[in-house]
Amino acid sequence: MQARTRRRRRARITAPVRRRIGLRWRLTLTFGLGAALLSAVMSIVTFGLTRENLVSQREQSAVTRTVANASRLAAQLPEAADSAGVDQLLKELPTPEGALPVLHYQGQWYAPTAQFGERAVPATLQRTVEEGQPAQMRTTYEGRPYLITGVSIPSLSAEYYEGVSLADLQRTLDGLAISLLGASALTSLAGGLVGYWASRRVFAPLLDVGQAAEAIASGRLDTRLPVGGDPDLDLIAAPFNEMAEALENRLERDARFASEVSHELRSPLMTLAATVEVLENSREEMPERARTALVLLSADVDRLQQLVEDLLEISRFDVGAIKLHLEEVLVAEMVIQAVSVLGGGGVPVRYDPDVGDVVVRVDKRRFGRVIANLLDNAERYAGGATAVTVERVDAHVRIAVEDRGNGVPEDERDIIFDRFSRGSEGGNRAADTGVGLGLALVDEHVRLHGGRVWVEDRRDGERGARFVVELPIVEAPKEEPMVEVTA
Amino acid sequence: MGTRILTVEDDERIRTAVKMALEDEGWVVEEADNGEEALQAFTRNPADVVLIDIMLPGIDGFDVCRSIRRASDVPIVMVTARADTHDVVAGLEAGADDYLTKPFAPKELSARIRALLRRARTADPTVTHLRFGDLEIIPDEGVVLRDGKEVHLTKTEFRLLVELASSPGRVFSREVLLERVWGYGYFGDGRLVDVHVRRLRMKVEADPANPRHVVTVRGLGYKLQQ
Repeated sequence: MQARTRRRRRARITAPVRRRIGLRWRLTLTFGLGAALLSAVMSIVTFGLTRENLVSQREQSAVTRTVANASRLAAQLPEAADSAGVDQLLKELPTPEGALPVLHYQGQWYAPTAQFGERAVPATLQRTVEEGQPAQMRTTYEGRPYLITGVSIPSLSAEYYEGVSLADLQRTLDGLAISLLGASALTSLAGGLVGYWASRRVFAPLLDVGQAAEAIASGRLDTRLPVGGDPDLDLIAAPFNEMAEALENRLERDARFASEVSHELRSPLMTLAATVEVLENSREEMPERARTALVLLSADVDRLQQLVEDLLEISRFDVGAIKLHLEEVLVAEMVIQAVSVLGGGGVPVRYDPDVGDVVVRVDKRRFGRVIANLLDNAERYAGGATAVTVERVDAHVRIAVEDRGNGVPEDERDIIFDRFSRGSEGGNRAADTGVGLGLALVDEHVRLHGGRVWVEDRRDGERGARFVVELPIVEAPKEEPMVEVTA
Repeated sequence: MGTRILTVEDDERIRTAVKMALEDEGWVVEEADNGEEALQAFTRNPADVVLIDIMLPGIDGFDVCRSIRRASDVPIVMVTARADTHDVVAGLEAGADDYLTKPFAPKELSARIRALLRRARTADPTVTHLRFGDLEIIPDEGVVLRDGKEVHLTKTEFRLLVELASSPGRVFSREVLLERVWGYGYFGDGRLVDVHVRRLRMKVEADPANPRHVVTVRGLGYKLQQ
């Protein structure tokens, strides 16, 4: 599995690296911004209309009142004896909404309230009104907003002004602005959330596609996407399934081909192996040259036999035809047996006392091959294994084969488990009879046993490689003595 | 006359090569290239060991195996394509004593044949009579009696029974039985033991489904008891 994952990662790195915001976030942002824009426009329009509405109402009523008060003044002013009388008159004017009257009469300014007088009336307004035109103006006086309406009273050549504070209106509008702003913000957020939700909805099927692809990549070739749920998604699902189908067929064909070829090779090999043995039996009677030739023949028949056996085994993996014959065994005993029986002995096996009763569930025949292959690998490329260790790490047991070779360079640690790869050491095949399937088989076998295998440097700092096989420990011995498992 | 081996194999080259290799071991080899011929040859002149390729034209290897087994307790080695198929169990249930997968080294075959030809032995050669309830074993004569009637066991079944009987009540692991009866090491196929125990029970147990003598000890192995 490790090797495969790395391989995939490599493939990804070669693809152009794009550091852009993900599609999902882009969708979310787009929705959010759209909502923000929309709510901003709505708010601005709402604000503007409300403002216009309120202000024009004020203006209308101010005009009506000012005109009414002006005509009242026009009737009463001539009766006023002195300026005090004028002030009195002004004070008596009905001024709802806190209107502030200002009068310009006979060259003199009258204002009943001290805070609002001549100076509050802008000069431009004064001029317009003095020309006989009623006018209205919004202005700011002493930091406060006012609406000032002016009419001239031509009969008395006087001008009457009324100021209305717009502070309350301003407050209302400020409040409105804040509410609208808040509403806009909320709408934008909601838009963003909807975008996020929508993008998730849209992406869920895409993630399924990703998962399916992942599953296929990890070997579950029969993975398919459900079709018929959604006509839009079927546009993705149907071609995806076709692709998976084609891939599966293709791989199956390849695997079947490899399997058939190796099966076909077995009969001639059988004959070869038997005849070579017959020849071996009479080697004493052979001339020197023939004996040398026989040695070569014999070695290569062995090698061919190993290759065909490995190919058969690996093609069984590929068509998923491996049947594990799982048994629960004491791991230490099994390793000792494997080293002595299959590895020819001579390599020390070391294990901690707490490993003595550790049980693993393995197919003994296949697992024996795993250890034999690792020993064989050490023999071929590192002058032989120096030790085999068994140690317990939490719920796993690690079987390590150490050698005193040149080690395995960092960048080759995955690919040496690939088929027909021998790493840089593979060039040295002076007396090499390997075919490069040994470690690939180790990898496949170990994975089938629910474990993993890797290579690292020796831990004692010495020169050499350390091939580690990790297997899960079976805690309580299982009841049934034997379980058949189909991979 | 030397040990006679009948090889049933449809591939002429393999047959000839194997025959030569076996002859080098000093055995007499008889050949048959199909099931019918094999059965005729065996009826005419029973061999001491039979080697059968499962994949045969006409009558297949299983049927040949069964037919021979009905008539004889001769050791049978079958040749299968793969070790992990049901073929192995089917072949053993058809009566084979051992199996090899193709391609095998003739040396391996010779070793198998030699192991199968070994005589049954008991730990103590002076013991001539073993009794387990209704079961009676006479190792020297190769005879097993149940309720006084003779039970026909193959040579391998008999050796398995004698091995178990050599230490009554002791649990024998598959590995130990594989080693003692078949001559295999730790990595031998435990199914050989399982299927042979099953076959043995069919013959020596009154109720093979509930064995009283040949008992399974879960996770450990088998033992023989009263």
